[in-house]
This record gives sequence, structure tokens and C-alpha cells, in this order.
Amino acid sequence: MPRTATLAEQLAAKQREISVAEFFERNRQILGFDNPQRALLTAVKEAVDNALDAAEEAGVLPDVSVEISKDDSGPDRYRLVVSDNGPGILRRELPNVFGRLLYGSRFHAHRQSRGQQGIGISAAVLYAGLTTARAATITSKVEEEEAAHVLEVVVDTQRNLPKIVSERLDLWDRPHGTRVELVLKAKYLRGRQSPLEYLRGTAIVNPHARLVLVEPDGTRTTFERASTEVPAVSKEVLPHPYGLELGELAAILKQSKEKSLAEALPKRLAGVTPRALKEVLAQASLTGKEDPASVQGPGLERLLSALHSVSLLPPSGESLSPIGATLIKRGLRNVLGELRPDFYAPPVSRPPRIRGGSPFLVEVGLVYGGSLPPDQPIQLLRFANRVPLLFQQGACAITTAVESVDWRRYGLDQRGGQGLPTGPCIVLVHVASTRIPFTSESKEAIAEDPEVLKELQLALQATARHLKAHISRQIRRQYASEKFTIIRRILPQIAERTSHLLGKPVPDLAPVITEIMNVVTLETAAPETGPGLMVTITNYTPRARVLELFAEMPPELVSTLTGTPASDGTDPSLGRAWWTLPKLAPNGQTRMELRWPAGTDCDASDFDWYIAGVDESRLLGADALPGDWDVRLPRQVIEAAEAAEVASVGAGPAAEEEVDYDGAEKTAGLEEDD
Amino acid sequence: MAPKRPPASKKTTDEPEVRIDALAPTFDLAAQIYAQLTKGEVPRMRLPLRTKQNIQFQLKEGVWRLGRGTGTRSARKLDGALMLLRTFYLVDFIHEMARDRKTSTLRELYYISEQWKDAKFHSEDESNLLIEDLEVLCTRLREDFRLHPEENGASVIGDLTLEETNRKGVVKRINCRDDVGDGGYALPFNVEKEKVKLRATNAKFVLAIECGGMVDRLAENGFDEAQDALLVHLKGQPARSTRRFLKRLNEELKLPVVVFTDGDPWSFRIFASVAYGAIKTAHISHYLATPGAEFLGVTASDIENYELPSDTLTDQDTRALHAMQTDPRFGTADWRSEIDLMLKNGKKAEQQSLAKYGLNYVTETYLPEKLAEMSVI
Repeated sequence: MPRTATLAEQLAAKQREISVAEFFERNRQILGFDNPQRALLTAVKEAVDNALDAAEEAGVLPDVSVEISKDDSGPDRYRLVVSDNGPGILRRELPNVFGRLLYGSRFHAHRQSRGQQGIGISAAVLYAGLTTARAATITSKVEEEEAAHVLEVVVDTQRNLPKIVSERLDLWDRPHGTRVELVLKAKYLRGRQSPLEYLRGTAIVNPHARLVLVEPDGTRTTFERASTEVPAVSKEVLPHPYGLELGELAAILKQSKEKSLAEALPKRLAGVTPRALKEVLAQASLTGKEDPASVQGPGLERLLSALHSVSLLPPSGESLSPIGATLIKRGLRNVLGELRPDFYAPPVSRPPRIRGGSPFLVEVGLVYGGSLPPDQPIQLLRFANRVPLLFQQGACAITTAVESVDWRRYGLDQRGGQGLPTGPCIVLVHVASTRIPFTSESKEAIAEDPEVLKELQLALQATARHLKAHISRQIRRQYASEKFTIIRRILPQIAERTSHLLGKPVPDLAPVITEIMNVVTLETAAPETGPGLMVTITNYTPRARVLELFAEMPPELVSTLTGTPASDGTDPSLGRAWWTLPKLAPNGQTRMELRWPAGTDCDASDFDWYIAGVDESRLLGADALPGDWDVRLPRQVIEAAEAAEVASVGAGPAAEEEVDYDGAEKTAGLEEDD
Repeated sequence: MAPKRPPASKKTTDEPEVRIDALAPTFDLAAQIYAQLTKGEVPRMRLPLRTKQNIQFQLKEGVWRLGRGTGTRSARKLDGALMLLRTFYLVDFIHEMARDRKTSTLRELYYISEQWKDAKFHSEDESNLLIEDLEVLCTRLREDFRLHPEENGASVIGDLTLEETNRKGVVKRINCRDDVGDGGYALPFNVEKEKVKLRATNAKFVLAIECGGMVDRLAENGFDEAQDALLVHLKGQPARSTRRFLKRLNEELKLPVVVFTDGDPWSFRIFASVAYGAIKTAHISHYLATPGAEFLGVTASDIENYELPSDTLTDQDTRALHAMQTDPRFGTADWRSEIDLMLKNGKKAEQQSLAKYGLNYVTETYLPEKLAEMSVI
């Protein structure tokens, strides 16, 4: 027995507190500093995230510059300078922000921000100190002060406290802002996981920011602002009971300063209305007069299950700062414009949901075609709270969700209906939350939470449906353009050559043309001068038609449009205008001109066209009227359609059921003759 | 479908009425399309399918020819419309050549189409296919349309005496062993009687050989004289003229034809085009194929029996073998087992791999053994 006690004492003597800084010093990979290439990127990322967060909180349009250059003081050393036009940091906070881990303003706040734990930038300072023994130089100026504070800071790893190496005041030619300068062991590489890609991603989801990168070889890349709207500052909100765990509820009640449970619940939790409060208390068999801190054990469990079963106000999205459909599209266009994608799917921004008491929401954008490679796996751009995620793609819930969608149904190739699909496509996915469930502290992958996965899938499917519509439109356009080539170029030449050979007059081709086409076509083109759209409708069917034409557009456009001829009616709330077209004989054609004022943000892709009065299968360039529009068609349209229907019964040649000679399998090539 | 007579000579001065005969069917084609246009019908042509599913064995001729399956070339589809247009550009060009008394190589035609705007060919394969289509539609040979391949230079070595009327109209008497250089007698593209007359031979059989290297080996070893053989170089997949020449040697001089190739699926197809008729030219198999021709090797079992150095079958080879399993020409029990054996062993070998046993092995051991087995010698 005595021997055991001795051993225990010996062991106890060795026990001592490990400082947080020391812990991270030995576990760099947790924070993303595990190799020199990654360390550089992580440092850039932490500094840029802080800069954007700060600017947003101050309601300033961010202007962030990142300069990376080789440092000659040692091998593999780089100097990183990140400066912003944010509000600046008060002198008294400066040492802690940059020289102390787990010091931050956002960890306890129930609202969306890029940084959360307050580890990031101080970890970069720590890493720089560890690898080059150089202090970080921090310059910061707040608007109220004349001069900027310039501090040299290192992290005292023993005590997790900042150590100021030097300090001075300096003049700075900007009203406010912060500049961080680090010298660290690093490796500069280009590619998917590079500072350039990180900034490109950041620029897409932060179209209000202007970002500049100067690479070690002097290459300067600027992502200009595509929007001058500062994102609404997300509000701090109370935790919502949905998804709240027992321990969390206990902690909330313990910290509450209210005297009674009935007072505490609506003040400490979101969504608890007076009516809901009554129901919750009744269900939990509590009076409401209890001291909040005293509610424990079975009572606490009853309270939680009552909070989960009673219907509360839905969680508010105010604490979230979604990018929004318009800005996602603008950001994608701004940054990916050089790839000339031929389709930007309308971005999907899902309503907020709750997970573990915290709201989250999912947004998805997609671009397709253009000069994107058609035979490569699609490119997936992942974002959490407007921060690009560049590592651990395979471990991320976003990837899992993308891979679980059967993209073949939406027009992309995908082996076995699983995994990353193949196609000329970039998919952007943004998850916003007051607390993103990351898989690790390096914040590179989102954990596979069932609620989050479900929302991701819904958003992806909604976007994919737009893609499918686009691809099938494209196939029809291709089909249409082939038909036009036949009737406009090939057929007239066949007629001319055969007639010439036989010495006979060229026959009238009109009946053959309607036979080949047998469709009503709608074509749009830009007018010769000024903004607007020329619309041409041709009846390439063998019957006369009276057609009703509908245009659908963003509602705000309706009132600014002038049509020639004028529309027969509009519905500005639904964004629709319609025309009854003059009767079109076979091969008959009618034109229409739409005009809008110069400077309107509008082009041909803003219009969807629908035509009534002819069967869906006989339409090219326009769709049939959707069944749920519930439109009453003019009498003459219906009558003409019926007459055409009657006339085509029993008429026309039977469909050719012959083998297509030019489409048949060719054995030639396998067996060359001469 | 069959040409009624061998193609006319290339000399442009004689037999003008033959030219008119060749052009007549092209007017019919134009008239057919013109009639459709005036009736408001979509222009179309019906053509026999030249696919392996549409070839039939002709007992009387002993070769595989086109079956009754047809397809339609229609202006409803872009590809079909373009081929119809090309057909009439081609017909125009043929008429032009007839008027100007010119001829053109297949390759020249391909380049001529550069002037055809929308209708220009995308590849020479495409233009060659259209010429074959026109042969089928008009029951004429391409030479009737004044179109011919480039000289392909397949050669003959051995004791055969023939008379060729050369470019200048002079008749040359040539013995393919004594009057030629080491390259042998080069076959012209036209090997019909009015150009090449077969006069005399002491050879007992014809050995048709795939590779030039093997022809050289046999010539150097004096195989033609030692075994009374006539060596014909196939130069890979043989040209029409080579196949036609083999057929004439077989029919007119009653020489058995034996085919000696590499041991791989492509070589099996070379044999098929000599003996059974190629699918692409199935409309004129009776004119090109030699029904009695026999396959000597290299067979799949030769690779095993002679322990020849071999290569592993590539994916392409395997696909070709599988395709042959549904090719009716390879439907005999012998071919089935040969294909199965090659697939099973997964190996192929070149003719020249016989050199493993020395330069004389092929002429002193392999060929004598195989030819005796086939009762040729």
C-alpha cells in the first residue's frame, strides 16, 4: 500500500497545466499549419477573414491587399503583409488579438461571422515566431486617433499571453485600418490550394470586397468589387430551443439573472412566445415560479422535451448573413466571366433551419458550359460563412451531398449515379451558420450532420433542375439549328444542283420545308441599334395558325418595356406580357420588337417565351404554356388550333420507320480496303 | 447491283459511248430527287446497308455479298441532307471530268471538295464511302466514274509472264522473276485484261503475304523457285487491284491461292477480304474475292505449336475478336475455334517471329510443313 501511494504522489508531482499555446505548438496540424505550403495559406486566410469581418461590422466596403514576397533572412522564408481599411483595433486590445490564443469577440456571440474561436490570427503569429523567431509587426489605426500604433508582438507560449517586443507611434496615410506583417517558414505554390484560389473564392462570395494579391514573382491580381452593397450586419440572437442539448439548456438557465423560470425562458431563448411559454410549463409540469438555476434533473429533462414538442416561433435568420441569389450570380459572373459559361443557374438560397440551437442556411450557385472542360469532374467551390474551404474536400458534408445527388437525371455524366459528376460545370455551395459544425479546428470541412445534409441536398436538387432545363433547351436549340441549316442552306442547293443537271426549273420548296420542320419557331436577336430584343415567330407547319405569345421576365422589367406591336396585356406582379399574333399561313412569319431604356440591367436571357395554339412537340425556341398558369386563351387561337388538329388527322406521311443509312453502324474503318 | 462488265480502260481517247453509259444512272438519281421535291416530299434515297448484319453467302459465286437490308438517306437529318448534296456535287464533278477527259485519284477528289462549301468532306473516309455509295446506286465501278486509287505498288515475284500495256500504249512482255528488279513487278491500279494479260506460268500456287519483310525473306531464300511459288505482297489490307489480280490468277491460271499473314485479328480480316469479300465492298465481292483461297497462318495454334515469340492482345485486339464472333464470314467451326483459342491464350505473333529459329526456318521448315498439311505441295 505505501508503495502505491508513493507512485501516485510521484505521478501527481508531474501533473501540471499545459498552456493552450503549448498544446497548439505541438499540434500544429489541428490549426492548419502542418506543412509550409499550408501554413502560408492558413496565415493568409486568417488575416483576410479578420479583415473582412471587421470591415463588415463597421459597415465599410472592404479593401484588402495581400502581399507575399521572399524573405532573405533564411531559406524557405516568406514575408506576408495583409492590410485592410477596416475600423482598426484599439491599442489596449492589440496585444491580445494577435498574441493570445482563444481571445476573441465572436466565440460567445450567436451570430454568423467568419472567425469564431479567436485562434486563427494569433496562431499565425505563433507559427511565425516558432519557425523564424521573428515577431509579428502589427500596425493599426482607429479613426479617432491621429497616429497608428505599431507593435512587434510574439506569443509567450508558456502563459498564452502576448509579449510586446517594441512599440511606437507612426503616421499612416489612411483614416483607419490594420496591417499585419509576418515572416514565416513557407512554400509558395500555385494551384487549387493556393492563396490565389483562396482569394478568387473569397471574391466570388464577397462581391462587395476589393481584393488584391501580389505574388512573390510580382504578379498582381485584382478582384474588383462587383457590388457596393455592404452585407447587412448579422444580428446577435438568442439560442433557439430546437436541437438544444440538455447540458446547454442547464448552462443557459444557470447563467440567467432572472428570478423565475417564466421570466427567464422568453429572455434567454428564441421563439418562446407567451402562449408557447404556457404550454411548455404545463407540459413540463412546472409552475414557472422556480428559480431558473434550480431547475435540474427530471424537471430539466421535462422542460427540454416540452420545448422540443411545443410549437415555437421559427428560428430567425437575422443572425445569418446569406449572400443572396442576386449577389451569388454577380460574384460568379465577376470572377468566372473569363470562362464565358453559357449558363448561370438562378442561385438557390434556402430559408434558415435550426441545428443544435443554432440557425444555418444553405445557398447554391451553378455555372455551366462555355470554356469549362467538358470531360473533367465538376469543380466544387465550398464555402462556410463566406470563407472558401480549400482542403479536405473528401471529408466534407458538402461533397457528400453533391455526390449523393443523381446528376444523371439532371443532364451530367456520373458513373453509377454516385460520386462527383463529370461535365463543364462549377457548383458553388455556401453554408452559413452562427456555429458551423466543422470536423476539426482547422475549419476545412463541414461535419455530416443529417439536418445540414438534407438542406444541402434540397438546395442542390433545386439548382440541378434549372441545369436540366438549360441542357434540354440547349439540345433543342442544337436540333433547331440543324433543321435551319437544312432548310436554309442544304435543301436549296440540292434543288438547284438536281434542277441544273436535268435542265429543269427549280421547284418551290415551301411544302418540303414545312414537311422537314413541322414546327413553330421563335428566334430572338439583338436589334441593330440600341438596347432591346427582336423576336421572330415562324410557322413552319403545313397548317395555318393563330398563336398566343407569352413573355415571362423579372417583374420590375414589365413596366419599362415597350413592345412593337404593343402587348395585348401585362401582369406586372407576375412579370408577364402577352400578344395574340396575326394568323400565320404555312411558312408565314411575324416579327416583334421589344425595347427598354438604356442602362437597364437586362438581356435576352432574362426572358422566357411560351406559345399557345400549337402542340408542345411542335415548338422550337419557346415552351408550351405551363398548365398551372390558368390562362384563358382568345377564341381565335383555340379555333385555329382545333382546325389544324382536324386537318392533320389522316394527313401527312407516316413517320419513317426506316433505318437511317447515315446513322447506321459502320463496319468500315475496322476493315480498310484501299 | 453488279457491274455488267469489267471497268473500261483509263485511256481517254477510246470508247466515248462507254462514258455516256456511266453517266446515265446519275441522271436517274437526280430525276428521283427532283420528283420528290416537286411533290413536296422530303428528298431521300434508299441504299443497301453495307454492314456485317447485311451480308449473305452466295452459293453460286462462293463469296459474301450484300443482303436485302436497306437504309434511307434522308434530308430530314443534317447528315443525310449533306450526303445528298455531296452526291450531286460529286455527280457534277464526274460529268465535268467526262467532258474534259480527265481522271482523278480518290485523294484528289477529297481535296476537290474544298470548293463545295457546306458540302465539303470532313475526311477522306467520308469521300470514299460516298464513292462506294454511288457505285452501289448506279451499279458501276468507281473507275467508270473516272475515279481511281493512287498506285499502291503491291508487288509480284515469281515465274509469271504477263503483258502490260503501259502509259504510252506500248505492250511490254514481263516475266515477274527474270525481267524485274528486287522489288518485283508492281501492280498497277487497273489489272483488267485490256491492261494486263496473263500469258504463262510454271508456278504451282500463289502465296499471298502480308508483310514486305517476309516477301523479301522468301525471295532471298529463293523460295519461289524452290517451291514453284508465285509471291504476291498484300501490303497490309490489300487494295482492290491486288484482290482482283489474285482472283484472275486463280480463275485464269487455275493457281491455288494461299494466304500467309501475321497471327492477329487484323490479319484474319485481311484473309477474309481476299477469300470471302470485304464488307465495305460487298457489292462487288463476286468481282474481287477468291473463294478458294486458304489461310496458312500464322494461326493461334501455330503460336503454341511453334512456340513463337508473342505479344499480349491489346483491348483493341480483343474487341476486334469479339466483333468477329458475330461476323457471319467467320461463322465456320474452324474460324470459331481459332478465334476462341486466340482469346483464350491472349496472344498474337508476327510472321517474322519465325526468325527465332534462324533465317531459313520459315522456308525450310515452317512453310513446307504447313503447305504439306494443306496438300498444296
